[in-house]
Amino acid sequence: MIKPLEIRGLYFKYIEKGPDIINGIDLNLEKGGILSILGLSGCGKTTLCYCMCGIIPHIYGGIINGEVRIFGKPVEDMKLPTISTRVGIVFQDPDTQLFSPTVEDEIAFGPENLCLDRFQIGQRIDESLKITGMSRYRLSHPEKLSGGEKQLVAIASVLALKPEIIIFDESLSQIDDAGKVRLKETILELKDKGKTIIMVEHDMDNLDIADRVFFMDDGRLKEIDKDRAGDAIGLYSRR
Amino acid sequence: MRLAFIAADDVSFSYDGRNPVISGLDMEIAARGFTAFMGPNGSGKTTIGKLMMGILKPVSGSVLIDGDDTRQLSLGQVGSKIGYLYQNPQFQIFSQTVTEELTFIPRLKGADEDDLMQEAERLIRLLHLEDKKDIPTFNLSYGEKQRLAIAGILACSPRYLILDEPTTGLDMVRKQMLISILKELLGGGIGMTLITHDRGFIENFSGRLLKIEEGRIFEESI
Repeated sequence: MIKPLEIRGLYFKYIEKGPDIINGIDLNLEKGGILSILGLSGCGKTTLCYCMCGIIPHIYGGIINGEVRIFGKPVEDMKLPTISTRVGIVFQDPDTQLFSPTVEDEIAFGPENLCLDRFQIGQRIDESLKITGMSRYRLSHPEKLSGGEKQLVAIASVLALKPEIIIFDESLSQIDDAGKVRLKETILELKDKGKTIIMVEHDMDNLDIADRVFFMDDGRLKEIDKDRAGDAIGLYSRR
Repeated sequence: MRLAFIAADDVSFSYDGRNPVISGLDMEIAARGFTAFMGPNGSGKTTIGKLMMGILKPVSGSVLIDGDDTRQLSLGQVGSKIGYLYQNPQFQIFSQTVTEELTFIPRLKGADEDDLMQEAERLIRLLHLEDKKDIPTFNLSYGEKQRLAIAGILACSPRYLILDEPTTGLDMVRKQMLISILKELLGGGIGMTLITHDRGFIENFSGRLLKIEEGRIFEESI
């Protein structure tokens, strides 16, 4: 059976003489699962996210060895617009993701580019705003929102694309407790619908919904027991 | 009565002139000690932080820093007393390398070249940035930028800190590092206000917790 995401023997560095940021990663993701990736700042988590959604090699170049396949197709053979219909990513910093004059336009941008009809676009905007609790900001300028609200708009705009794989790169960090509870419920519902979720996290409290937890260190991934994730980080930090 | 270091008197603020984000805010913050602001997204925490720093000026009422009205103070004057960490560290990093970032302001202030380089090296070690000191700041991860922004503030030797979501992008190890740094600063008489969602982080400190709920502030002890 074709897996949503397969990574085989992946190595990556941004420049020829630079260090390997990804240093031999093999990973298979199943349909309908939540995978969390932990790791110290700068260990390569965001670079791995870029590899999984095609930003590497399509936007950021570098020296890449190994293979990333999305639903069986090598990522380098797929066009970025095609990838974006299957993989959605919410970046760590929402300011890099928001560009439209209103929240509604921001969320509509993806569905419009999928050439959905107006009714479907409206429906997706409504759903995404409801899930993120941002309906009252529909006509607000994203730049006028708080940091946490910007994160919610970025999440809403990715949910509106209804991708099969969703990557959250520390995307819950500025969201209040009530918002986190609501979003984690949504993520569990998405999993039940067969979506594959990847959550890059520093917050141990968000691991409760994960099926598998990996610790990233020196560009490599190691699967760990989620109940002992704190121990794993402490152990690595003392090396 | 001892004068508060930062005092807000019946402060109201609106971004668009119609919808108030803050109204009737009265608050006194001492020069020493720990204060945390918590509240839901969009409740006005960052706006209060920027009013305390004089980045935003009240529509009505007044904010005094060390007895001076923020309307009369330049950002440079406030910056010589208060170090401010923006919610997004990218907004305050502007130099090519980590070392340049940490020496820019001290050099501008006329600090001795040997002293400022020594202090930059100390901060680089303190914030775990040793292997990043000569690389372009653009290439740092979000967490590394956060640590650099904090180091940049400390390089200016402020009397008071206002830190907006300082733990965003920090892993567990670096959160512990930041706790140690802030406790040492508190012990040395530097006061601070943190704006955060990270309840676990502020529970490492004792001080005031100001919770913003539906436009009102409730005070608790931590």
